[in-house]
Amino acid sequence: MNFKNRTYWLFLLPTLLALLLVLIIPFFQGVYYSFTEYDGFQVTSFVGFDNYIKLFSDEQFIYSLGFTAAFSAASVIGINVLGLSFALLVTQKLGKVSTLFRTIYFMPNLIGGIILGFIWQFVFLKAFTGIADVTGMEFFRGWLSDTETGFWGLVILFVWQMSGYIMVIYISFLNNVPKELLEAATIDGANKWQSFWKVKFPLIIPAFTVSLFLTLSNAFKVYDQNMALTNGGPFGSTEMATMNIYDTAFKVQDMGYAQSKAIIFLIIITLISVIQLYITRKKETEL
Amino acid sequence: MKLKLVFISLIMLASMSLIVACSSNESGDNEGSSGQGDEVVVDLFNIKVETTDQLNNLIDIYESENENVKINVTTVGGGQDAPSALQAKFSSGEAPSIFLLGGLSDVEKYSEYLLDVSDMESAKTAIDGTLEGGSMDGTPYGIPLNIEGYGWMINKDIFERAGVDSSTIDSYGKFVEAVETIDSQKEELGIDSVFAFSAKEDWVVSQFSSHFTAPEFGNDVKTAFESNELNFEYGDRMKEYTDLFNQYNYQPILSLDYSTSVEELFANDRVAIIHQGNWIVPTLNSMDESFAQEKLGILPLFVSSDTEGEIVAGPSWYWGINKEHDEAVVEESKKFIDWMYTSDKGKELIVEDFKYIPSHEGYDTDSISDPVSAEVYEYLLDGNGKIWANNQYPDGFFSEALHPEFQKYLGEQQSWEEFEEAASNAFTEMR
Repeated sequence: MNFKNRTYWLFLLPTLLALLLVLIIPFFQGVYYSFTEYDGFQVTSFVGFDNYIKLFSDEQFIYSLGFTAAFSAASVIGINVLGLSFALLVTQKLGKVSTLFRTIYFMPNLIGGIILGFIWQFVFLKAFTGIADVTGMEFFRGWLSDTETGFWGLVILFVWQMSGYIMVIYISFLNNVPKELLEAATIDGANKWQSFWKVKFPLIIPAFTVSLFLTLSNAFKVYDQNMALTNGGPFGSTEMATMNIYDTAFKVQDMGYAQSKAIIFLIIITLISVIQLYITRKKETEL
Repeated sequence: MKLKLVFISLIMLASMSLIVACSSNESGDNEGSSGQGDEVVVDLFNIKVETTDQLNNLIDIYESENENVKINVTTVGGGQDAPSALQAKFSSGEAPSIFLLGGLSDVEKYSEYLLDVSDMESAKTAIDGTLEGGSMDGTPYGIPLNIEGYGWMINKDIFERAGVDSSTIDSYGKFVEAVETIDSQKEELGIDSVFAFSAKEDWVVSQFSSHFTAPEFGNDVKTAFESNELNFEYGDRMKEYTDLFNQYNYQPILSLDYSTSVEELFANDRVAIIHQGNWIVPTLNSMDESFAQEKLGILPLFVSSDTEGEIVAGPSWYWGINKEHDEAVVEESKKFIDWMYTSDKGKELIVEDFKYIPSHEGYDTDSISDPVSAEVYEYLLDGNGKIWANNQYPDGFFSEALHPEFQKYLGEQQSWEEFEEAASNAFTEMR
C-alpha cells in the first residue's frame, strides 16, 4: 500500500505541478487583481469591492451577459438538434458514403474561429448582398448591420462550427446501443420513430450530459468568432461577455475591473454547468 | 499491465516536454535581448501594415550594409488590435527594442521604458513642432514616423464628369451642392453612391470626429491630452456632415468596412468620396498605378470657419526606443532610426518607396510623387493642418464609447443630443 501511495503521487506530481502553475496560482492572482486598480504594468491602489460594486451599474456588461445567455440558449438547442440529426443520418446503413458525410460535417470544426468568422462575414456581407441584388429579396440585405441579424449570424456560425463535433459524440453513443434491444423493439412492432424515442433516446442521455456541457460552456466563452464576424457592432449590441471583458482590459486599460468581471463570469459559467450536469445526470438510465 | 506502462510513459513524456518547452523558451529570450556573439538583435514592433513590405525592404538594405545587426520585425495592425498586442509583448517580458507610439497616453504608459531621444540626429532634423506629440515635460521620447493627413478623399474624375470643379469648393454649402449634383447623376456616372464612409471601423469614426474636436482643444496636442472634457463645441457642424454622408452613403453604412470602402468601392470608381487619409495611396497604387496620380484628390472640412477648409495633418506615430535593453541593442536601435531618416538611401526610400510625407527636414519635397501627399504637405506648411486630436482621447474612448454611440445615432437608436451627452460623459469618466 505504501508503495502504491508513493508511486501514485510521484506520477501525479507533474500534472499537479502544471495545474498549480498555469491554473491555481494565476487564479488566485486574478482574484487579487480584481480588488485593485491595475493597468497591466503596476497595481496603483487597492480598492476592495469597488470593482464589483461598479459592475452592477455597468449597463454594457449586463447587456453583454444577457446577449451571451440568449446566444448560448439558441446555439445549444441548434447544435444539439443538428448534431443528433447528423449522427442519426450517418449511422444509417449507407456504406462508404456515411464516412464521407461524417468527414464533411466534422470539417468546420477544424477551422479556427477567426477564419470561420471571416468566411461567414463574406457570406453574410457579399454573398447575401449578391443574392439580394439578383432576386430582389430584401431579407438578404444588411446582415450584420443590425442587432437581430447580427445575433442570428453568430448563432448560425457557431452551430455550423460545433454541430459536427457534437455529432461525433452522439455517433459513439448511438453505436453503443445494443442491437438486441433494437431487434426486440422491431419484433414487438415498433416503427423507426418509436424505436428512436423509446429505445435509443433514453440510452443516449449520457451523451446529452457531455454534449450539453461542452456546447454550453463553449457558447458562453465564444470570443474569436464574435470578434471576426461582428466585432461587437453595430453599436456594441452584439458584444459578448468575453469581448466586453477583453475590451475593458486591453482597450480601456482597466485590468483590475476587467478581472472582477471575469471572476463574476467564471462564477456564472460554473453555476450553470453544475446545474446542467446535475439535472442531466439524474435523467441518465443505467442498463 | 502493458497498457499501464504505455500510459505511464506517456505521462512522463508529456511532463518532460512541458519542462523542455519552458526551458527552451527561456534560452530563446536570452538570445533575443543580449545578442550572443557579434550579432546584435533588434526587435522592432510595427503597426503600419500598409507599408510592411517597404519596411522589410528597407531593413534588408540596412542589414546588408551593417552585417552585425539583425532586425526582427513583428507586424500587428490593420483590423487587429495593435496596442493590446504591444502591451502583451511588454507584459510577457518580450519587450521590443523599437516600437510605435500613438498618442501621449502611450508615451505616458511606456515612459519608464522610453529613451530620451533629444540627442539623436533624427530628432534634431524633425520639422519644428512635430516632436510635440511624443514629448513629456519638454523631453522628446519619440521620433515622428511621417506626416499623415486625412479628410475627404475624392475621385476627381467622377467630380469632373458630373460637372463639378473640385477646386472651387470653398465652403460647406458648396460641398453640399457638389454632393447633390453628383447624386443626381448617379446612373449616368455609373456609381453606387456618393459616399462610402466606413462606419464599421471605429478608427474612421474617431478620425472623423477629430476635425470637430481639434479646434475645441485649441488645436494643441498637450491641451487635448490634458483636457478632462469634451463638449462638442462644433457638434452642430459635425451633425450636418454626419447627416449628409449618411443620406448619400453606400448602405448599410453600419457594416461597411475599410476594405470594401477603399479597395472595392473607391478604387473601382463606384463611389466619389470616402473619409480617409494619404496612407491609402500605396494600396491604390498596387491596384491601379494611375489612380493616385490622375484621379485622387483631397477636400478639406469646413468647421470653425466657413471659408477656410482644414484637414488633419501631422505626425500620427512615433518611434520609441526601449532603454531597458542592453546598451549595444539601444545603440543599434538609435543608429537604425537615424539611418532611416537622415541617410541618403533612407531618405530616398521614405519618400519614393514608402510614399511617406517626410516629417524631417532636408528632403527634396519635389520628389513627393503623388499629388495628394504634396497637398497634405502644403496644408501643413500653410498652417491649415489640424492636430490628430483623436490620438489624445482617453484609452478606449473611441472604441468603447465614441464609436458605439455614433453608430447608435446612425442606426437611429438615439438622437444627436443623446450621442453628444453619452460621448461627453464617457470622455470625462475615462480620463
